Amino acid sequence: MATSVVDDHDSGALGLPHPVQPPRRRPRASLKLRNALVGWTFVLPNFAGFAVLTLIPVFLLFYYSMTSWNIFGNADWVGLENYSRLIGDKSFHVALGNTFYYAAFHIPLTIAASLGLALLLNQKLRGAAFFRTVAFFPYITSIVAIAVVWNMLFSPEYGPINQFIGTFVGGELPGWTVSKDWAMPAVIIVGTWRYMGYYMLLFLAGLQTVPAELHEAARIDGAGVWQRFWNVTLPCLRPTMFFVTVMVTIESFKVFDLILVMTEGGPGQSTLVLSQYIWQKGFEQFELGYASSVAVVLFLICIAVTVVQFLYNKRRDA
Amino acid sequence: MNRKIMTSVGTAAVAALALTGCGGGDSSSGSSDAEQADGGVSISLAGWDFASTPEFQTLADAYHEQNPDVTVELKEYPAGNDYDTALTADLAAGTAPDVFIVKNLKNYVTFEEGGTLLDISDVAGELDPATGGLSSMAVDGKTYAVPYRQDSWLLYYNKALFDEAGVDYPDGSWTWDDYADAAATLTDGIDKKDVYGAYLHGWQSTVQGFALAQSGASLDGGDFSYLAPYYERQLAMQDDGSQPSYATVTTNELAYQSQFGTQKAAMVTMGSWYIGTLVAEQASGDADTFEWGLAPAPQADESTTGMDNTPVTFGDPTTMGINAGIDESKVAAAKDFLKFAAGPDGAAALAEIGITPALIDDTVADTVFGLDGVPQDDLSRFAYTTHETLPENPVGPNTAAIQTILGDLHSAVMSESDPVDDAIADAQERVANEVG
Repeated sequence: MATSVVDDHDSGALGLPHPVQPPRRRPRASLKLRNALVGWTFVLPNFAGFAVLTLIPVFLLFYYSMTSWNIFGNADWVGLENYSRLIGDKSFHVALGNTFYYAAFHIPLTIAASLGLALLLNQKLRGAAFFRTVAFFPYITSIVAIAVVWNMLFSPEYGPINQFIGTFVGGELPGWTVSKDWAMPAVIIVGTWRYMGYYMLLFLAGLQTVPAELHEAARIDGAGVWQRFWNVTLPCLRPTMFFVTVMVTIESFKVFDLILVMTEGGPGQSTLVLSQYIWQKGFEQFELGYASSVAVVLFLICIAVTVVQFLYNKRRDA
Repeated sequence: MNRKIMTSVGTAAVAALALTGCGGGDSSSGSSDAEQADGGVSISLAGWDFASTPEFQTLADAYHEQNPDVTVELKEYPAGNDYDTALTADLAAGTAPDVFIVKNLKNYVTFEEGGTLLDISDVAGELDPATGGLSSMAVDGKTYAVPYRQDSWLLYYNKALFDEAGVDYPDGSWTWDDYADAAATLTDGIDKKDVYGAYLHGWQSTVQGFALAQSGASLDGGDFSYLAPYYERQLAMQDDGSQPSYATVTTNELAYQSQFGTQKAAMVTMGSWYIGTLVAEQASGDADTFEWGLAPAPQADESTTGMDNTPVTFGDPTTMGINAGIDESKVAAAKDFLKFAAGPDGAAALAEIGITPALIDDTVADTVFGLDGVPQDDLSRFAYTTHETLPENPVGPNTAAIQTILGDLHSAVMSESDPVDDAIADAQERVANEVG
């Protein structure tokens, strides 16, 4: 990261005058200690909760992933057995493939849709605030209600979506959530619809930081709308874009509730994703050790993708 | 010295938080006071959703009436699948009640292997062998939970719609082919839009439960070909329009109660719990008022049909077990409570609130058929009292994992995403690959 701790020796480099007499070591050290203590005391209540509910369970997760724990009794150490089982587990492969399938479409679609909405609603048009609220609604609506309504909309025989499509094209219409081929696209559509409002808000905030002078200068230089978007807006949005990309990526790799309430991973295993597989193994079949190893894999995927994004962003920064 | 004050105040606050945080956990278990002031014993019982599930309170009250020195205290858990999750957490933490319901049979082995259930073979030995589902609870000759309630799947039919279509009522001789024929004739004969001859709910049990019980196959045998004829028949029925398609049922979240209760379907196969629901809904007006009847579930072939045979159907018993961590002084009382709940007295108490107990004797049948709105014909009574009910989830270490795979098979086949044979081959391969 760009910020680095400035310690005593650097003060000269920053152009500050050296103190004439170096202060005595002792009071300085105790002042530092006291400051640190005060800081820690303020952070501690929050950190204690974080540690107990998140940090320790995450470390335990790595331990449990190497045991055959079934929730009762002792967690017997099995080493890497769970991981070698993962290599041959076809359901795990299906879940992994489906998770990447979802992510591969959900990430670009959500970014494109939310950025498009943000650009549109950043205009000074009448009722922009109203439409911003409307776009944000899906994000605050209960996921169960969303699933019920979308499932009805997607209903292959009576649903309005197929009736609408049917007026334009003949032949066989998509089966959506009750078809192996169409269930994932259906879930991706709903996922994108649900999250685009939230990321639109982030992009809107980012757009406020784009200096109007740059746009003006570009316009004077004869740049068209597209050129200004590509060469002015997007580069200025890069910090926001980076944040949004990281968030959308992690969010799509750990997609769970939407799938569970819309398709339960079906038909067959066509929408089974990793986090649902973890839940299935851990809380339906009580193989918590094995479920933990799947969770570790999901964790590593999220870390790896985020690190790549960080490195890419840093290179662009330089 | 402001800083100093702030530091000490902060530290004290944190210490206080930590202390109160730690102190909160101890007082909640509350089951340690075995001996009450009057010398009686108190045992705790885990149940769920007491507002809409009165059976636990009914059993506790009925038992206390007979045994005034024993009090059964209820501990409420969340309903649905959350019951198992919450109870499992408490069992693992050692804070679960003395007696608990093993709600889903497929988790019975997990509880037993986890050492959370007391061996109660002696209680099981004293129960009536006719208690439904009792024999299937034995693991290596020992029993760890006893059934107090067992619903069996029956055929419900709407007499008015049968009359309208001019179709003869079921007479107990039906095979599944007769059922499919009747559904088709009914759909044609009832001249109303969106009224079907039959309704098949979206659960995997509605097909697989019957197939497993009536074919005599074993769930963990690795061969699922026994499912094929049952699926072929249901697919044919959905294709010829004699029942709503699986796609419509699941995407529109159709409820069997409204489909049958508001006369959208002339027949439905469902568990016996629906008797009480249907009677209540007809009384409250949520369901239409029409004459209905019960018949034995359709059979695989004629060897088990007719009123001189015992029809084969399925249903999982709901069972009760004793927490292995129970206080020594309470074991006798807990076992006596189980004997009561699974015995004729418990059965009579349950029948009075419209619940089908595991032990169905004449008293139970008289009570159920004495309720207002329950059909009075002979076949209905025969269907309710006479059946061989096999478990949908036979007790075994791999049942939960196999049922997950078969659940995927169900949605793949019924949505017509995969042909039956491919889906069965796929499921067999997955079981070989992933289970045991």
